[in-house]
Amino acid sequence: MKFLEHEIAYRKATLNHLSRREALMKMGSGFGTLGLASLIGNSNASQSSTSPLAPKKPHFEPRAKRIIQLFMPGGPSQVDTFDYKPMIAKHAGERPESVNRKTLRNTKMGLMPSPFGFNQYGQSGKWVSDIFPHVAECVDDICFVHSMHTDIPEHAGGILMTNLGALQPNRPSMGSWLLYGLGAETQNLPGFVAMSPRAQPRGKLANWGNSFLPGAYAGSYVNINSMKPDAVINDLKNPSLDKSIQRKQADLLAQLNKLQLERVKKDQSLESSIQAMEMAFRMQFSVPDVFDIDKESEATKKLYGDSEFAKGCLIARRLVEQGVRVVQLNHSIDGYDIAWDTGHGDIKGGHSRLAHACDQGIAALLKDLKGRGLLEDTLVVWGGEFGRAPTSEGAKGRDHDHYGYTIWMAGGGVKSGFSYGSTDEFGLTAVHNRMHVHDLHATILHLMGLDHEKLTYRYSGRDYRLTDVHGRVVHELFA
Amino acid sequence: MRIRGLIYISFILFYALNPFAVSNDSNGEDSNIIFFEKQIRPILVTKCFSCHSEEAKNNGKLKAGLLLDSAESIIKGGDSGRVISPGKPEESKIYEAVLYKNEDMAMPPKGKLSDKQISDFRKWILNGAHWPGKDMTSLIANHKDEEPYDWEKFRNEHWAFKKISEPIVPKVPELDHAANPIDNFIINKLHKNGISPNKRAPKNILIRRAYLSLIGIPPTPKQVDDFINDNDPNAFSKVIDKLLDSKHYGEKWARHWLDVARYSDGHGGFGDNKALPNAWRYRDWVIEAFNNDLPYDKFVLQQIAGDLDKENSVPIPTGFFVVGPTYTSDGGDPEAKAQALAETLSDRVDTFSRAFLGLTAACSRCHDHKFDPITTKDYYALAGIFKNTKNIDIKVGDKSVIDSHNSWQKAVNDTTKNLNSFLDNKAKELKVNKKDVEKSLDDESKKHVSQIRQELELLKKSEPKKPGNAHVLADSGNADMHVALRGDLRKKGELAPRSFIEIIEGKSRPKYSIGSGRLELAKSVIAKNNPLTSRVIVNRLWGWHFGNGIVRTPSNFGVIGDKPTHPILLDWLAFNFVQNGWSIKNFHKLIMLSSTWQMSSDYHKKKFDVDGDNKLLWRYQPKKLEVEVWRDSLLFVTDELDQSIGGAPEGEIMTSLRRTLYATISRTGDKFKSDNFLRLFDFPAAASTTPKRASSTVPQQYLFMMNSSFMNERAKTLGKHLSEKSSSRVKTIENVYKKLYSRLPEQSEIEIANAWLGEKPDMKTWSLYAQALLSAHEMIQIR
Repeated sequence: MKFLEHEIAYRKATLNHLSRREALMKMGSGFGTLGLASLIGNSNASQSSTSPLAPKKPHFEPRAKRIIQLFMPGGPSQVDTFDYKPMIAKHAGERPESVNRKTLRNTKMGLMPSPFGFNQYGQSGKWVSDIFPHVAECVDDICFVHSMHTDIPEHAGGILMTNLGALQPNRPSMGSWLLYGLGAETQNLPGFVAMSPRAQPRGKLANWGNSFLPGAYAGSYVNINSMKPDAVINDLKNPSLDKSIQRKQADLLAQLNKLQLERVKKDQSLESSIQAMEMAFRMQFSVPDVFDIDKESEATKKLYGDSEFAKGCLIARRLVEQGVRVVQLNHSIDGYDIAWDTGHGDIKGGHSRLAHACDQGIAALLKDLKGRGLLEDTLVVWGGEFGRAPTSEGAKGRDHDHYGYTIWMAGGGVKSGFSYGSTDEFGLTAVHNRMHVHDLHATILHLMGLDHEKLTYRYSGRDYRLTDVHGRVVHELFA
Repeated sequence: MRIRGLIYISFILFYALNPFAVSNDSNGEDSNIIFFEKQIRPILVTKCFSCHSEEAKNNGKLKAGLLLDSAESIIKGGDSGRVISPGKPEESKIYEAVLYKNEDMAMPPKGKLSDKQISDFRKWILNGAHWPGKDMTSLIANHKDEEPYDWEKFRNEHWAFKKISEPIVPKVPELDHAANPIDNFIINKLHKNGISPNKRAPKNILIRRAYLSLIGIPPTPKQVDDFINDNDPNAFSKVIDKLLDSKHYGEKWARHWLDVARYSDGHGGFGDNKALPNAWRYRDWVIEAFNNDLPYDKFVLQQIAGDLDKENSVPIPTGFFVVGPTYTSDGGDPEAKAQALAETLSDRVDTFSRAFLGLTAACSRCHDHKFDPITTKDYYALAGIFKNTKNIDIKVGDKSVIDSHNSWQKAVNDTTKNLNSFLDNKAKELKVNKKDVEKSLDDESKKHVSQIRQELELLKKSEPKKPGNAHVLADSGNADMHVALRGDLRKKGELAPRSFIEIIEGKSRPKYSIGSGRLELAKSVIAKNNPLTSRVIVNRLWGWHFGNGIVRTPSNFGVIGDKPTHPILLDWLAFNFVQNGWSIKNFHKLIMLSSTWQMSSDYHKKKFDVDGDNKLLWRYQPKKLEVEVWRDSLLFVTDELDQSIGGAPEGEIMTSLRRTLYATISRTGDKFKSDNFLRLFDFPAAASTTPKRASSTVPQQYLFMMNSSFMNERAKTLGKHLSEKSSSRVKTIENVYKKLYSRLPEQSEIEIANAWLGEKPDMKTWSLYAQALLSAHEMIQIR
C-alpha cells in the first residue's frame, strides 16, 4: 500500500527488478481497481451488475456517515472571528518581528486591532467575535482548529487546495473522492450536491468536479438563489407530459428493451440500462421533493431565518437526511465568487455583513441536526481557503494570510467544545500543532471511515490520492 | 511515544555502560560523539524516527524515502537526493528543513525545534556530522549514486521495449476460415483455450457495424438491401472501400484521435480560462489527415514539429499541444507561478509521452518513475523542449489573402510610424511636449499631418479580406532545464540536456540542439530503433475497433500497464503497419476483412464462462456507441442531420443539426450546455489525454431521453414522418425498424406497436412511440 514512499526499497532490488515491481504494483492496486471494475460494466461483462454509486464498505468503522462543508471562499479573518488575540490591541500600530512576513500584496503596516468585540461563551468559555452571535451559542458543540496553514496566498490556488488538495484544477474534488470511496446511501438523489446562492466559488466546477474519477462521482451543482425544485437536475421534467402518460411510455420502452434482452440472451449494459431508466423515472419526483423547503414547519423556518445562505443550510439538512453523502454549501454574497475577500479594504463593513448573512443559518443547522439526532454522525466543516493577517492593509483592511488561519468542525465524531492548535501571539502564523490542508483532508477521510493512503485511483500510470504524498490524521480531534 | 522513549533510554544506557561503543581515535572525536549522543540523537529519536527510520519503514510510515537512523542511510539521502554535507550546514537539506524557512519541507512537521536545538544541529553538521563508530569522510567518498534501473534487463525483458521483428504466423486448420493472418493468431489462441470462434455475423449486422465503425452513421435501408443482394465474394470489401473514401470517415476517426489529443476549444477554468477560438483548425486538420490517409509517421512528426520543417512547414498540426492547458497564476506569488509553469510542462510531457509512446513519463516529475525506466532527468530533458516552445497565433488560409492582408497591415503600420516620427521630430524641434505639439505647428506642418491622417483613414477603410488564425507552436529558446527537486522548479538539481528518453536511445543519446529540439524529438519518436510508436498506434486502432486494445491500457505500455493479450499478433501488426508505409486506411481494411472482426456478437454461455471479458476474442464485443455516433445516428434516422464538414465550432450543439464533433468543448466541461450533454454520455474530460472512454449507465441518461428538448424534437419529427406514411401499419413499422435498427421487426414488436398506437393514433401517440424507439438500447449499441 505504501509504495509511493517506497521507491528506494525496490531500487535496491536490481537483481529481481521486474518481479518485485510487479508485486508492489499488485499491492498498490487493490482499492482503485476494484472501484473501477464495477463501473465499466459492458467491458467486464463477467462482473456482477452494480451501480457505481452503490454503498461501499469503508476501510474501517466510520465516525461520520455524511458531511456538510460550509465553504467560505475569499478568506475569513481568524482574528476577527474565532481566534481571539488581545495582544494585537496592546501593540496596535507596531510591526513586531513575528508578524513581519511577506503577504500577497506585500503590505508593510502595523498590527490592527479587531474592530469587533469578543466575549466568552458556553461551558468551554470560548472567545467569539460579536459578528457571530448565533454560532457563539453553539461553541460547546464545536471543535476549533486554529493552526491551519496552506501553500499559497492566492484565492484560486487556495480554494482548489481546500477542495481538491492541489493548486491546479486537474484533480478530483474531496466530495468526489468520498463518493468514490463510500458510494451513496440513496439511489434516488445525487450522492454529492454542491450549492451556492448566486455565484459559484472561484474555480467553479472544479470544486465539485470528478476530474479523472468516473463521471458518476461528480457533484451536482444547484444554484439555490434561482432554484426551481424541478430544475435542479437537467431534464428532470418533461415540459408537456403528465405522470400517467409518461409511466406508460416508460413501460413501452422497458418492453422493447426486454425483448432485445431476450434476443441477445445476456447483456450487462442492457440490463443496467433497464434499471437506470426505472430509477430515472423515480428521480423525477424524489428530487424536486427534497429541495422543496416549503414542506418544513414554521418553527423550523423561523429557526433558520430567511437569508439565502440559511435556505442552503436547510436544504443541506434535508439532503443529508435523505442519504446524500456530501453537501458542499458555498457562501457568496452579491454574486461575488470570493465573498470573504471584502476584507482587503474594510474588515468592519465587509466581515460584519458576511457574518450576518450566514451566522443564523449555520447555528440553526447545528441545532437542527442535533435535535434530530443527526449531528453525531454528520460532520459539519466551516472555513475558507486561508485567513487574513493581523496587520493592516490600508486603513481598515487586511491582506491574505496563508501562514495561519482557523477552521472549525462539529458533529461526526470530533470533540465538542474543544480548540486545537494555535497561532502566534498576534495570530499570523500557525505555531503549535500546525495542521496543513492535507492533514485536514486526511482527518476528514478518517472520520468518514477511509484511510487517505489507501483511497487511491490509478490514472495516467500512477495511483493518485486526495492527499497526494502528504497528510497526517490528527487523532487529537476525535471524540 | 512510549516505545520511542524506551529506545532512547536504551541508547543512553547502552552508551553509558559500554565504553567501547564510543570511538576513541582522539579526544576531539570523543567529544564529537558525546555531543552527538547528548544533543543530536535524542532529537532524531523523538522528532524524526517516527517517519524516517527502519522501524517506520517496516510500519509503512516512511516518508520521502529518507532514513535517519544510520550513518549509511543519512549519507545516502532520500527521494530528492542528498540531505547532508558534513562541514557545510548551509548546503545540507536537513538543516534547511529544521530552519523552517521553507513551508513544504519544514521539519519536524508538528512544530519547530527550539533555537538551541537548531544551533546544535548546525554545530553537529559543521563539525563533520560525526556518527559513533563511523568514518563519515570515507562513507561519503565511497558513496556512489546507484544506477536507478537495470536498463538492459528492461530492454531485453519488458515486452514494450523489445525490438520488433517479423513474427512467424501460426498455422491453423483450413476449416477454421482464417481470412488473413490476424485470424491465425486469434484462432490459434482460442483453440489452446478450448473455445471456438463465433460464426460470421449476418449481413445486415455486418454492414451496420461497418458504417457505424467507419463513418459513425448507420446505413440506409437501401444500402443494407444492396449489400445483402450483392453475391460478389468481394461485396464487403467494396463496402469498406466506399466507406474509407467517404469524407465522413475522417470525421469519425478524427474524434478518436481528438480524445488522445485532449482537444478542447479552451475555457480551462481557473488559471487557464481563455477561449481558443481557432482550435478548430487543428480539428479540421486531423479530419483531413485521416481522409487523406496521411502516413502515421508524418502525422506524428507534423503534430510535434510541423512548423519546423524547413521545406514544407505545416504549423497547424502543432495545435495538438496548444489545445491543452497553459496555466497562469493570478497574483504573481512566486510559488504559484512556478507551480503554474510546472503544471503546464507536465501537461506537455504527459500528453506527449502517453499519446505517442504509451509511457507515463509525467510520473517522473518529482522522482524517478517507480515502475518504469524513466528518470527525472528524462522528464526534464523532455520538459526542456517544451519550455523552449511558446504558443502563438498565425494567419492561415489562402496565400494571396494572407499576403494582401500583410501588405495592408504593413502600410497601416508604416503610415502610423511616419506620422508619429514627424510629430516626435517637431516636438523636439519646438521643445514642447508631444501631447501639445499639434497646437504649436505652423500651417504647412498642420496640412502635412492632416494629409497623413487622411491617408490613414482611407487605408483603414480599405482593409482586405481577413485571413483566419490558428493556434500553433513556435520555438522560443534554446536552453536546457535543470532537474527540479521534488518537482519544485525553484529548486534546481542537475542539468538535464534536452534529449530523448534513455531507455530507447541509451546513455550516449544525442543531445538536441536545434532551437527547442522539437524536430529532433519528432524524429526520435518515429525512428526505426523506437519500438513504442508503431506498437502504440496499432494497439489504439485495434482498440477503437474491438472496444479493447490487445494491450488494454493503450496509453500505458509500462510495467503496471496491462500486458498484451496477443503479444505476437501485436508485433505482427506493428511490423506490417510500418512495412505498409504507416497507412491507417490499409490497416482498417486488414482488420475488417479478418474473420475475427466479422464474427457475430452472439452470447454463448460456455464461452462466456471461460472468457467473460472476451480477452481471447471469441466474439465481436457488443458495445455502447460513443455519444457522437449515437447523437448523429438519431439525427440521421430522422432525416435531419446536416452533413457539412469542418469549420468553426457550434456553440450549442443541442440546438444544432450538425455532427456532434463540431460542438464547442470547454476544458472544464461546464461552460456550454453541450458540455453537460456530452459528459453525461461519457465524453472524456478534455483536461488530459484520454486513452479509452468509460462506458457508464446512469439514470440521468434516461432523464435526457425522456425529457430533453433534443429528444422531444427528434421524436416529433420521426412521429410526424410515421403518421404521414400512406402505407399499411405493418409496412410503416417495418420501415422504421429497418431505418433505425437495420432489421425487420419481430411479430411481438409489431403487436407492441399496435397495442400502443390503437386504431387511430394522433400525432402525439406517434411521437411518444417514436421516442421509445429512439431511446431503445438497440439504438445506442453496436453489435
